[in-house]
Amino acid sequence: MRTFRSDGLRGRFRGPKRLAAVVAVIGLLAVGCGSAGTPVDPAPVGSVQQPLPAGVSGFEGAGGGPAAANCDTRSLGPAPGIPSGSTMAKIRQRGRLIAGVDQTTYLFGFLNPSTGNLEGFDIEIVKQIADAIFGNWEGHVQWTAIPSSQRENVLKNNSVDVVVRTYSITCARLKDISFSSTYYVAGQRVLVPKNSGITGLADLGGKKVCATKSSTSLAAIAQASSHPVPVSVNNWSDCLVLMQQGQVDAISTDDVILAGMAKQDPNLQVVGDRFTQENYGVGVPKGQDDMVRFVNSVLDTVRTGGVWQQNYNYWIAPVLGPAGPPAVSYQ
Amino acid sequence: MTSTVTRPAPPGGPVTQSPEPPETGRSGVAGLLDLPVVAVRGIMRSARTSPGRLSVIGVALVVLALVTGVVGTIATQGKKDTINDLIDHREPLTAASQEVYRSLSDADATSANAFLVIGTEPADLRGRYDLDIARAGAALAKAASDSEGVADAAGKVDVIARNLPVYTGIIERARANNQQGFPVGASYLREASNLMRTVILPAASDLYHIDTDRLGAEQDDVSGFPWFTMILVLALLGSLIATQIYLTRRTNRLLNVGLVVATGATALILLWGAVALTVQAVLVGAGEDDGSHPVDVLVRARTAAVQARTDEMMTLVARGDGADYEQNFKTLAPTFTGLLGEARGLLDGEAGAQVDTAVAGADAWLKTHKDIRALDDGGSYSDAVKKAVDPTVADGSAAEFTKLDDALVKAIDIGRQNFLDQTRGADRSLTLLPPGLAVLAVLAAGGVTIGIRDRLREYR
Repeated sequence: MRTFRSDGLRGRFRGPKRLAAVVAVIGLLAVGCGSAGTPVDPAPVGSVQQPLPAGVSGFEGAGGGPAAANCDTRSLGPAPGIPSGSTMAKIRQRGRLIAGVDQTTYLFGFLNPSTGNLEGFDIEIVKQIADAIFGNWEGHVQWTAIPSSQRENVLKNNSVDVVVRTYSITCARLKDISFSSTYYVAGQRVLVPKNSGITGLADLGGKKVCATKSSTSLAAIAQASSHPVPVSVNNWSDCLVLMQQGQVDAISTDDVILAGMAKQDPNLQVVGDRFTQENYGVGVPKGQDDMVRFVNSVLDTVRTGGVWQQNYNYWIAPVLGPAGPPAVSYQ
Repeated sequence: MTSTVTRPAPPGGPVTQSPEPPETGRSGVAGLLDLPVVAVRGIMRSARTSPGRLSVIGVALVVLALVTGVVGTIATQGKKDTINDLIDHREPLTAASQEVYRSLSDADATSANAFLVIGTEPADLRGRYDLDIARAGAALAKAASDSEGVADAAGKVDVIARNLPVYTGIIERARANNQQGFPVGASYLREASNLMRTVILPAASDLYHIDTDRLGAEQDDVSGFPWFTMILVLALLGSLIATQIYLTRRTNRLLNVGLVVATGATALILLWGAVALTVQAVLVGAGEDDGSHPVDVLVRARTAAVQARTDEMMTLVARGDGADYEQNFKTLAPTFTGLLGEARGLLDGEAGAQVDTAVAGADAWLKTHKDIRALDDGGSYSDAVKKAVDPTVADGSAAEFTKLDDALVKAIDIGRQNFLDQTRGADRSLTLLPPGLAVLAVLAAGGVTIGIRDRLREYR
């Protein structure tokens, strides 16, 4: 091989060029002797720690408890009017209703970045309550965004007047706070990427499923027979962040919340049947029965006076189809 | 000069001429090992005679003078190099890591700010964020170029370099969602901010501290007095004087010109070296006291202020869910006001005036912050936001923070200029010292040679 190559070179290269060729061949031979070792990776990076929203963890105990337990979840009968000395009178005197809401759940309670206003189905309910107290809600509502884990706490320490935040009425919660009548009935389902092939809760065995902390949804995921891995976050939007970043396989919560997420990302779809029933009510601090009765009368008007239907048609119907207000009975 | 010593036996002569018992059987290596012993014996023997002793003294003095010259030249040249390194390398790098830390904090604050503005993101906020990211990237490349070999610093640079692109990616995703009116955009912003606060900024802060410590260590190093060189010089001077006393006693001649020249040269080394090195140490110390140390305090104040500003806005972004951010603000506020007070005690003149402006800005801002919290907690969210982010509101925190930040930038620039002036002065104080020492040492060695040779000749 070597001889052949130098013979070939002889014809074309003369003088110094030939000498250079010979030197090169000798050099190559010298280099060929002995192992050169392996190339060095100057900046080895094996794996990447993906960024997480603040406060992501696993299952941290059931929140809210199951909806159907042996207690009376019906609310107190409605009573309009604001007698002096009542809770409503105090709110009116203060000049503003302090409402605990969500600003991250599309369609129900969210901050519209292009207007800077809070909007959604829940927000409309708050506006109706404020309208009933003040005549006009504008300038009379102090919106307080709260994470789902804080809903009971803000009511227990009276830092808000009402919580209207996709808040399911459960027996466990009724021990600490009071609820109004049901203003919306939702049910837990599953949100997955369209190409995932997952058709419901049964397919989620061993997969990471996201829900907010101390929500009834998280408890339902943890109890599911297919044994998904619960991942808990502070706000529903954080679930969508994790989903879009491929850090969870599914989100499971009430269909309306999921529909709001699917609307923000056309690659996602809501699958499976409803496997829970969630009755949304307005949370009121324990013991403020006058406020509960007042809110119930407002909700009565909302349900029967066309406001509910108008609201539903605007926010929810485009994603979940037509529906009517829930039927309500009182204690 | 030793060649003049012909009587008695040649010191350190060939082994074969040694009167020691013949050891022909010894190997070459053993013979080599014997050489110093034989040499010492030869020297001892010759030292018993006057001329022999004189030549031994002469050789010793010459060697001492040359060693002093070499050691002194190397030591002072080393100092000069270190001072130049402080100016050209160490201080700019500290500034670079400071820039990484500050730009990233500011990027975090600016992106939070942008989310509080309704509608299209204002061009100046967008521009500020872009500039912050570009500056952070450029400064990081500078900081990385120096972290080689300093495992700690390299690790921090690595963390920042890996996560900064991730951060900007999330921010863009937040923007894209925001522009479509999707609330998930705000969640992306919070995720990005979380990454910045829990991963990137701690690493940037550590990197800054590592670089500041290195700067301080180098300053301490360079302002240290070169005791070893000084001891050599003093030993040389002492030996020269002792030799002259010895010679005066022996020969009854008062002066030996060669040795006087050598003594003069050595005294000049001592004087010049002591003065130049003292001036240099004082100036490097001044560069630290009026320059890099107050700059460090100001930088820490500035970064704490930027982070508090982010907290102020994130509290509003969180809208009721921001108790942690407000808590953070409350911890940071005394930090930066305390640091500003510390800086005021360190600086006077123009820099002090700038710090005063910064303190005034900080006081006004903290007062406005209270108003903003009162507005927000009292239900006037949009008024609170306006007061916090609108730069056209005269008593708004945007304007007050800018005033604070601008004054700090000016004070930091003055501090850096002080550092540069003083340290450059330190460098100049050593001008010509290294070659000067070498020349003087050779002069001293030459003087010794001539002086001793003159005396030795008298023995012929």
